[in-house]
Amino acid sequence: MVGEITMKKYILNSLLVASVLFVASCKPEIESPAGTTAGSANFSKYIAVGNSLTSGFADGGLYLEGQKVAYPNLMAEKMATVGGGSFTSPFFTDAQANGSGYLSLTALVNGVPTLTPVTTNLAYRDATRLAKYTGEVQNLGIPGMRVDLAFAGPFGAANPYLERLLPDAQVGVTSYFQFIQGRSHTFFSLWLGNNDALGYATNGGVTTDATNVLTDKSTFALLYSNLVNSLSAGGQKGIVATIPDVTAIPYFNTVTVAALLNAAKAINPAAAAIYIQTGTGTVRAATSEDLIRLPFQSAGLFGSTTSSPYPYGLHPLNPIANNWVLDKDEVAKVKDYVISYNNSIKSLADSKGLAIADTYAYLNQVKTGIIINGIGINSAFITGGAFSLDGVHLTPRGNAVIANVFINAINAKYGSTIPVVDVTQYRGVKFPN
Amino acid sequence: MKKILLSALLSFPIWVMAQGFQVNLQGQKQIGMAGAGSALALDEASVFFNPGAVTFLEKNSISAGGNPLLFKSAFQQANSNVTENVKNKIATPFELYAVWGPKSNKWKLGLGVYTPFGGLVDWGDNWSGKYALTSLNLKAIYFQPTLSIKITDRIGIGAGFVYNYGDVNLQRAIPVNFPDGRSGKVTLDGTGKGYGWNAGIYINTLSNITFAITHKSKVITKLDGGSAEFDVPNSLRTSFPAGNTFNAELPLPATTTLGIGIPLSKSTKLAFDASWVQWHIYQDLSFDYATNTSALADTKSARNYRDGSSFKLGINHQATEKLALRAGVGYALSPVQDGYVTPEAPDANRYILSAGAGYAFTSKFEVNASFFFEDVQSRTQKNIETGLNGTFKTLVYAPGLSLTYKW
Repeated sequence: MVGEITMKKYILNSLLVASVLFVASCKPEIESPAGTTAGSANFSKYIAVGNSLTSGFADGGLYLEGQKVAYPNLMAEKMATVGGGSFTSPFFTDAQANGSGYLSLTALVNGVPTLTPVTTNLAYRDATRLAKYTGEVQNLGIPGMRVDLAFAGPFGAANPYLERLLPDAQVGVTSYFQFIQGRSHTFFSLWLGNNDALGYATNGGVTTDATNVLTDKSTFALLYSNLVNSLSAGGQKGIVATIPDVTAIPYFNTVTVAALLNAAKAINPAAAAIYIQTGTGTVRAATSEDLIRLPFQSAGLFGSTTSSPYPYGLHPLNPIANNWVLDKDEVAKVKDYVISYNNSIKSLADSKGLAIADTYAYLNQVKTGIIINGIGINSAFITGGAFSLDGVHLTPRGNAVIANVFINAINAKYGSTIPVVDVTQYRGVKFPN
Repeated sequence: MKKILLSALLSFPIWVMAQGFQVNLQGQKQIGMAGAGSALALDEASVFFNPGAVTFLEKNSISAGGNPLLFKSAFQQANSNVTENVKNKIATPFELYAVWGPKSNKWKLGLGVYTPFGGLVDWGDNWSGKYALTSLNLKAIYFQPTLSIKITDRIGIGAGFVYNYGDVNLQRAIPVNFPDGRSGKVTLDGTGKGYGWNAGIYINTLSNITFAITHKSKVITKLDGGSAEFDVPNSLRTSFPAGNTFNAELPLPATTTLGIGIPLSKSTKLAFDASWVQWHIYQDLSFDYATNTSALADTKSARNYRDGSSFKLGINHQATEKLALRAGVGYALSPVQDGYVTPEAPDANRYILSAGAGYAFTSKFEVNASFFFEDVQSRTQKNIETGLNGTFKTLVYAPGLSLTYKW
């Protein structure tokens, strides 16, 4: 009897121990094809050609944190699972991590942000020029680069981000088009052309120099095809991206005419209209179709009577100056150019069999709001999560989202299975504590 | 304008109930039979399974048992090669029963304290679904005093009143970032109560095939004044005030069960239960915050559950006078429709496998053990509200043990 009890106890204990061991070893498994094949593409040496967006520029500056999460860098990490090699970027050193300097959100009171420049640990070697970077570079994104200026040798002297990467003898001589060649790449991304329209738009539709010209449509098509032909000259596969609509970014949808009018009415209930000077020199009451640039909110001009007896922007005799406003005719013009550029990009990509990341279509979706893994993302300034404090460039979260737009387009075109980026691991705007 | 857009951050669902929260562990003998047994007057657990059968129990008894439960869930985002697993946390469903009545009388009293619903999942603070949920600890404890009466020698009815004590702690990340880059977080913590009933009929036919019809009512559990604690950067504090509270309702569904007990031999009985779980009451989930701000609105999230059901077949074999062996299989249909699966209860149709054994040391003292396993089928879908897109796969393991004293 006693023996039997011991025996049963032994059996029960053994059952429990066996159960525990069994449980610890039996994890649920989920099979996935992600990360198993490069399809018909070869990612062993990927180069990224583009402008500020490609470089990781954010919050009005190029700095190390932004460089590390630039969408090509996020893509390259994931390409590593399907034969991708190392991916080099012209990172600033840790000691100069703040690079060109950038804007930081230091206060948010009643929804009004205070943006403060970060001025420590910068990477300037003199007043205007950045510390040189030597060595191999695969993230070839240059803030301010345009399709037209990619072919201009002197721009390498004027643009500190390209100047930084060029040997002294090539500065002012070697164009970006030449700079990106001879890199024996097997795969490329090309997201360029934004500034050919945006330079003009962010200057309120006023052209003062080569960086704010609206590039001629046929010139754009020709030069863009030169770029693509060069990048695919060895039969390399790649992806090109369309240019977003300028009204899809916070830079043009934050300081609205209605918001200004409400602010004016709070002080003077009789305020009836906001007055602007258009691109043709006409002065008229502004409508919701006229877009005012983001920096106007901190320019200290609105309602000011320091240079006129009439409050700035609130009287026909002291309208908001042309350079602050992309009036509705200018908006229509920029939109028309962007559509034309995009048609050139897409037809060229189709004829070359390249993948297309349609960021134009995607950012128009973001404008109305999307939800990814419980994160609401839209194109609102600060709270939208995708755009950084300059209202044009992406946050780390925005870069992750765009990286997936590229990855999905690449996978769809080439039958590859590059895994997607986990968007939840990347931040939006940092809020002050 | 900024505040209007901020409200989007919080307009998402907080929690969800599912088959995944229905805990089918209410008596070691029945657990060993996959949860079947409403038509068997097996033991004092009939207080839960069928109050109508309680009066047919031969002895008075008291028992206590527990089933440490491991809910192992995994998630993989669509087009990702990363599988994320919940942390190993052990939930503790338990059951206490007492049955008493004068010998050879027509009635018996019973008391049951058990945990028919609950959930314990902890995905960690930094997984890909953290903005939907990081962790949930939900417990519902039912207290059920019961009266069971023999109408004839072969028919018994019984009913019990149910009081539910509910306890919930839910945490998730908020997609706003501190200066160091980490995300904000909300913790909702509260207790609540609800009421219901449990009734059943037990019929023993002349062929000794037994039948059962039982109904456990819905229990709407109200949580009042739970704490809603937001960990956000100070610049957003006015939007997420400190010391906030919330009210919510947790609808626990009614279950109607038809059971059959078939004696295969003197020592072997087969039990089959078919249950209809009336989840349709769970149409939406609403949270009412005591303090609303332009960024923190009350929420009402569609759930649109349909009714679920389960089919369980178990066998009880009295191997010797002292030793009983049990086994069971089952299948349960999920009430959660595509588009509504969440990490709180990553539900899908599931298979149930179980085994058990009982040993009577004396005529008064008995030990029962069981092992319960559920294979929740893998399910790939995109949640309509959070956009969380991927595949869930869950395995549930629960060993159990109970002690019984009879007189």
